Amino acid sequence: MTPVEHRAHPLAGALDRLYLLCIWLAGVAIALMSLIIPVGVFMRYVLGFGAQWPEPIAILLMMVFTFVGAAAAYRSGGHIAVTMLVDRLPLALQAGLARLIHLLMLLVCGFVVWYGSRLCLETMGQSVAELPWLPVGVTYLAIPLGALVTGLFVLEHLLAGSQKHRAVVAFGEGS
Amino acid sequence: MDALVLLGSFFLLMMVGMPVAYALGLSALVGALWIDLPLDAVMIQLASGVNKFSLLAIPFFVLAGAIMAEGGMARRLVAFAGVLVGFVRGGLSLVNIMASTFFGAISGSSVADTASIGSVLIPEMEKKGYPRAFATAVTVSGSVQAILIPPSHNAVIYSLAAGGTVSIAALFMAGVLPGLLMGLVLAILCLIIARKENYPKGEVIPLKQALKICVEALWGLMTMVIILGGILSGVFTANESASIAVLWAFFVTMFIYRDYRWRDLPKLVHRTVKTVTVVMILIGFAACFGYLMTLMQIPMQVTAFFTGLSDNKYVILGLINLMLLVLGCLMDMSPLILILTPILLPVVKLLGVDPVHFGMIMMVNLGIGLITPPVGTVLFVGAAVSKLKIGVVTKAMAPFFVALFIVLLMVTYIPALSLWLPQTMGL
Repeated sequence: MTPVEHRAHPLAGALDRLYLLCIWLAGVAIALMSLIIPVGVFMRYVLGFGAQWPEPIAILLMMVFTFVGAAAAYRSGGHIAVTMLVDRLPLALQAGLARLIHLLMLLVCGFVVWYGSRLCLETMGQSVAELPWLPVGVTYLAIPLGALVTGLFVLEHLLAGSQKHRAVVAFGEGS
Repeated sequence: MDALVLLGSFFLLMMVGMPVAYALGLSALVGALWIDLPLDAVMIQLASGVNKFSLLAIPFFVLAGAIMAEGGMARRLVAFAGVLVGFVRGGLSLVNIMASTFFGAISGSSVADTASIGSVLIPEMEKKGYPRAFATAVTVSGSVQAILIPPSHNAVIYSLAAGGTVSIAALFMAGVLPGLLMGLVLAILCLIIARKENYPKGEVIPLKQALKICVEALWGLMTMVIILGGILSGVFTANESASIAVLWAFFVTMFIYRDYRWRDLPKLVHRTVKTVTVVMILIGFAACFGYLMTLMQIPMQVTAFFTGLSDNKYVILGLINLMLLVLGCLMDMSPLILILTPILLPVVKLLGVDPVHFGMIMMVNLGIGLITPPVGTVLFVGAAVSKLKIGVVTKAMAPFFVALFIVLLMVTYIPALSLWLPQTMGL
């Protein structure tokens, strides 16, 4: 399958950069996670003392991986959806439903951005038990940020159509 | 009424094609508004649903399997299985089933299994005179083993959905015998078909070459030794062994096999982020949804409903199996595990079914769901790899569905199949 560059809207370049930023943030996060946990094992068995920091740091990275990465996954059309019913509907109705779903997606993203930010602000005063210098709110930051980016991609989809077939987004699929 | 609002809105949103994760989130919001729950409570569930140490094993297991699948692992496992069973009549179909057994010991993903084994073996089988539809059917049904044979990230998801009360080690060991049984039943079926259709025999591989093939495959199969050995001996936790498996997989692919180029790494990063985060965010939103279900006492109502139908545990298990088969045809595996485990586990626990045993029933059942139309992710991948129409593959799969159904019945009604191994090991 050769990805076709079609209907690149004026902001596509900027959003492509945002998309790649999400992919690489999430990618670096999971790479670090897979390094940090073995470091903990190494410290426990080889250096002889268990360290407290690998666990909360790995969880923080997992939050970044999940919520930032999911935004990129949305743009590439990766999220699991049941389309068998919709695919059998007349095209006009399909388009209408797609629009409705985008609006509902915006609603969910809006909720996560708003209430996620509130959660972050409320927990900025508390600190992670194992790491006194790390506010709990920071570990939650990826939630509203990821939802904000997801929301942008939903808006893009709503106004300029799906981007999943463009080369930047389809990169790495197929073999 | 509460249940109707929550489940009804989810069902409606899902059916109009909203991504399942976000449909779960939105219906949780609708449910929260309906029972006047502050939305902050829903938000906390989303955050704490992902902010969990036990969750780390899931991306690690998926990533370790993905790295192995990207490199030439599939080709080597196929060669290894070829040494062991390739020489009998219908040898390549047995090789296909057995390669999936080995692949399952490295990755828990049936999709990765079908994609990588299928792209090696379907052309090869066709070249040797097997019909392409049959080759695809063998690949697709064989890949269900990956869900049962440890390590299986779906078992980790089940353990999570069960509220962390079911040990991952026990689930892993419980999957061994059902997984091998499935491989055996499918292999017998292949032998019967091969005899009837007079499919070709393979060649016996010379000893020297065979040894080389075995050594190469062992590097990859060590992944399973690290994971299981680490967890069972108590040296590593599930998370730790999963992360070490990632490093090992990377080391073997890059430095031992050396068939994955460094400049291809960005592809792996893109693919991993796009596939794994989908499961992770699903877990987050399912936590919100599950919280609402608990508040509305839906699991209790479902328990009352099932126990009102019958008090015979075999009847109830049969009914649950039927329901899972229908839902499995319509939906993907991980959302179903996340949504249904908290609902169904109280029912079966009340009837005296072991949660580990029930986990295996769910794995086999929903695994079958992955390869059945209309929504069968693995079936779609198989059809895409072989460039056949889904209907053609489905038709060739008819005898395999029967075989898998027999396995499901055995796993359901012979608890010892799942429980004997973990109990013997004291898990």
